Amino acid sequence: MATMPASASDLLKSFKLKTKQQELLIRVSILCLVYILAFITRLFSVLRYESMIHEFDPYFNYRTTLYLTENGFYDFWNWFDYESWYPLGRIVGGTLYPGLMVTAVLIYRILRFLRFAVHIREVCVLTAPFFASNTTLVAYFFGKEIWDSGAGLVAAILIAICPGYISRSVAGSYDNEGVAIFALLFTFYVFVKAVNTGSLAWSLASAFGYFYMVSAWGGYVFIINLIPLYVLVLLITGRYSMRLYVAYNCMYILGMLLAMQIRFVGFQHVQSGEHMAVMGVFFLMQVFYFLDWVKHMLSDTKLFQAFLRITVTCAVAVGGIALGLGMVSGYISPWTGRFYSLLDPTYAKDHIPIIASVSEHQPTAWSSFMFDFHILLFLFPAGLYFCFKRLSDATIFIVMYGLTSMYFAGVMVRLILVATPAVCLISAIAVSATVKNLTVLLRSKNKVVQTGSTKGSGGSKSSSKALLDQSQPFQKNGAIALLFGAFYLLSRYATHCTWVTSEAYSSPSIVLAARGAHGNRVIFDDYREAYFWLRQNTPQDAKVMSWWDYGYQITAMGNRTVIVDNNTWNNTHIATVGRAMSSYEDEAIEIIRSLDVDYVLVVFGGVTGYSSDDINKFLWMVRIGGGVFPVIKEPDYLVNGEYRVDKGAAPKMLNCLMYKLCYYRFGEMLTEYGKPPGYDRARGVEIGNKDVKLEHLEEAFTTSNWIVRIYRVKPPNNRCNIHGQSGTCNPQNLGVCLDLLGLVDVNLGNAPTKPCCSLIEGLVDLEGAVCLCTAVRANVLGIHINLSISLSLLLRNCERKVATEYICGP
Amino acid sequence: MAAHFFTLSIITLSLFVVASSGELESELVADLLTLQSESKSGVIHLDDRTVSKFLTYPRIPRPYSFLIFFDAANFHDKPELRLRELRREFEIVASSFITNHNSSNTKLFFGDIEFRESQSSFQLFGVNSLPHVRLVGPTAKSLKDDSDVMDQGDFSRLAESMAEFVESRTKLTVGPIHRPPVLSKMQLGLITALLLLCLPLVAKRIFAGETLIHDPKIWLSGAVFVYFFSVSGAMHNIIRKMPMFLVDRNDPNKLVFFYQGSGMQLGAEGFAVGFLYTVVGLLLAVVTHVLVYVKDATAKRLAMLFTLLVSFWAVKKVILLDNWKTGYGIHGFWPSSWN
Repeated sequence: MATMPASASDLLKSFKLKTKQQELLIRVSILCLVYILAFITRLFSVLRYESMIHEFDPYFNYRTTLYLTENGFYDFWNWFDYESWYPLGRIVGGTLYPGLMVTAVLIYRILRFLRFAVHIREVCVLTAPFFASNTTLVAYFFGKEIWDSGAGLVAAILIAICPGYISRSVAGSYDNEGVAIFALLFTFYVFVKAVNTGSLAWSLASAFGYFYMVSAWGGYVFIINLIPLYVLVLLITGRYSMRLYVAYNCMYILGMLLAMQIRFVGFQHVQSGEHMAVMGVFFLMQVFYFLDWVKHMLSDTKLFQAFLRITVTCAVAVGGIALGLGMVSGYISPWTGRFYSLLDPTYAKDHIPIIASVSEHQPTAWSSFMFDFHILLFLFPAGLYFCFKRLSDATIFIVMYGLTSMYFAGVMVRLILVATPAVCLISAIAVSATVKNLTVLLRSKNKVVQTGSTKGSGGSKSSSKALLDQSQPFQKNGAIALLFGAFYLLSRYATHCTWVTSEAYSSPSIVLAARGAHGNRVIFDDYREAYFWLRQNTPQDAKVMSWWDYGYQITAMGNRTVIVDNNTWNNTHIATVGRAMSSYEDEAIEIIRSLDVDYVLVVFGGVTGYSSDDINKFLWMVRIGGGVFPVIKEPDYLVNGEYRVDKGAAPKMLNCLMYKLCYYRFGEMLTEYGKPPGYDRARGVEIGNKDVKLEHLEEAFTTSNWIVRIYRVKPPNNRCNIHGQSGTCNPQNLGVCLDLLGLVDVNLGNAPTKPCCSLIEGLVDLEGAVCLCTAVRANVLGIHINLSISLSLLLRNCERKVATEYICGP
Repeated sequence: MAAHFFTLSIITLSLFVVASSGELESELVADLLTLQSESKSGVIHLDDRTVSKFLTYPRIPRPYSFLIFFDAANFHDKPELRLRELRREFEIVASSFITNHNSSNTKLFFGDIEFRESQSSFQLFGVNSLPHVRLVGPTAKSLKDDSDVMDQGDFSRLAESMAEFVESRTKLTVGPIHRPPVLSKMQLGLITALLLLCLPLVAKRIFAGETLIHDPKIWLSGAVFVYFFSVSGAMHNIIRKMPMFLVDRNDPNKLVFFYQGSGMQLGAEGFAVGFLYTVVGLLLAVVTHVLVYVKDATAKRLAMLFTLLVSFWAVKKVILLDNWKTGYGIHGFWPSSWN
């Protein structure tokens, strides 16, 4: 790739540059172009929609960033967020990775300092593309380190537009991964550099890179397990060196100490099972160093062999015993579910439905690989082969990184992101080495090829001169054909990436777009409509219950308290919501009241055909609810193992709260021409229960395309509503009691008090009395009764204890 | 007088019957306990005779409940029925229940019935599909209609959910499930000892640098395998337990190998595409690293042509398949006059 077209070289010659300088100039300008390209290709989302935050998690990040800019770092660090996880709340400072927010605020401050009047939202929107651009630079240097500068350039180009990376770093995707991939690749690059040079400075840099990664994303666990694995492989393949010793020890010790400063991570580096590998390898390193020293001291090889045997056995035994003791005593925590589900992929499906329910945690089908990597997949095995042909510490690292991340990408769709840099680098090696050899062949101008082989990068000198001369013309044609093939493939890759970025990965998922019948774009902005309705029309302290996917958005945009949100730390709480959604209404209302819920929000795609709505997520609610509350059973909602919403659906399904809320009054609606009313376009069926009646909830708001529906929880029926909106109790309801009061005065306790009692039941004793007083005062009939006597009589008849001398105030 | 005698005799007779039935019940329980202790897992093997003895014949209410697993040895090799696995789980529930109650609980017994040897019992219970587990309560008159059937949901979490089923229907506590460890303590000890013994040898060879792991070829093939495994979506097939192919719904003689729709795939489909990926990559590597050593020019040419054709075909095929599967029509953003 470092070769140049003839015309450009002529132009450069006129500047009287030496070849080396020309090469540098070209390289730098290519890098600059790639840097810009990586940024602008991620701006499709802003062009197609507007400058806004995407998806779910970024809304939380945005909200915390806002808080950070407004209140400063210490308030942010100590922030207790009472608006989420009602009534539990969330200690935000201790349960997030602050790297992203701090980075964004830092950029914001710098811009403000330079007198650029930007809003923090713009900074947040553009953070991910900015870091993606930086990643291309790191990829260049990494490629240069493991192969040559040509491979570095190709790697930079490939990663700049690779869809696997773009999916998480378009403008507006303000998520941890946006900066974390940069941090990940940077840490790896600097570590490999440290291993190659054995310099303390690079090791220190890798420790800081690791620190940044820990502060930014939970995926740091990958680094902290890959690096010891790499070191272990180097050790057992006999590649132990002093450089490795310096790099690893410095990186581990400093990195660990730094990582402990992040509150969310805390002492996990010495306590959790996931971090034990790195510690074990650290001790193994010391044993190796010690052995090396002893070998140096002992001249007798036999003696050394015996010594070696004893030491290694002892070291491993001691390590094993220490690990066992730590596990048994509970000092070392066992692996978490997420980590475990990576090693044993079937684990999550059987044991942790909440992990298995997330769409990005699904296992990957081949088409997703194809979609995200395109031709890189074909080049990957070739790149592997090249790496194995030129084994060095650096290529071993990239091969291990590539293979482990490939495996993880197969387990979870979202981890394709982690594999992307490795795939780009390895493919870049394949592309660069092939193209370089081909061009060398073309430029040789009938001279004997210097390397002595057609396209061998290994440099085989065995092939004979005569043979080469003989096959020369054919070789050139073949080389040209191959070159054309390679560039054709690369251009396909560019086309694919651009198309995918623009059509598939730039959708903010909070604003939906669809193609209309005439190819025009239809925009559904229902989410924001609903959240702003919440913000404008509900009391400040209203509690909104929804499935956890929408929690972050409701708090960030609607500014209302939610029961559960996307930070799925408390499974029981989520299961409670799942249970409420999958119960009958009168059972659900108990749960809803116990959680003080004022509004229930559901997402419904039956009108628009939007498929990721709550009805399609409903089975997961049932599964998660059933995981904690065995009364909820999945088969109750299925018919012969099939999930249906039409007439043949299970009776429990047709009457559960979620079904009712989604399909309330949907039976009257005509959605598609030629179909009966109540035709669900998302599932393509006519719904089974068209006559939905709600008892305890009432429709409060439905957005213009019915995507979001909000229901108000009605106050309890027929009770004296002291806490109602007016602040006084409603005397009309107590008419029965008023008549009674008159009767009580006459019959002294023989009155039929039951109906009245049932009315004041549920009120605290004193409240009951006060309410009755209000009722009496409001009475226009003017019944004059001895209030103090009859009230206490009545209340006693209702088996209420009240101070006997209760007298109504004036 | 005769009438007196008659009533008296009836009273004595009924007294006798009551006494004998009491005795009979305790006898039955004792029999069951011995049968239970004879069986290794505590599951009593029932046949037509014992079913009538313990379930049909005794007076209602019986002093015990019976949880029965319906087994068929000739279906054990059908993986979709999961009979072996469920049976093992059933035995775990049984043995856990017995150990948790120190073998002294006579309220619940576990049994199994084999299809071949006791077909009439299957008819008696009206069982015509497997897997099937039934709880016969003490008051169940008709074995077919009054007993509780464990439905699919109760199998789903294996022993744990079976125990929950029992607890919810019988008001008995099963207690913690004791699963046998994957390796017994003896085996574990042996393995550790062996490992420890081998370690010095392995370490020595590692230091000497003469093991298989020093051979890059092994590593290379391992690496390519991991790659193939990942990109073919084999993990997806394992997790989702996808079949290799489906039978066409409309035409049972036709097999469906490719599933339309992204995010899903069939087994054979993944392997086919993964194979195509790997072939192209490896061919490229072979051309650049092996072919150049070939002396014969014609062989070289032929190999080159072959490689080019195969690669072209494979790439084309995969891209077409991908577009068909995901339904995306990928096109460049050229000016529209170019198309």
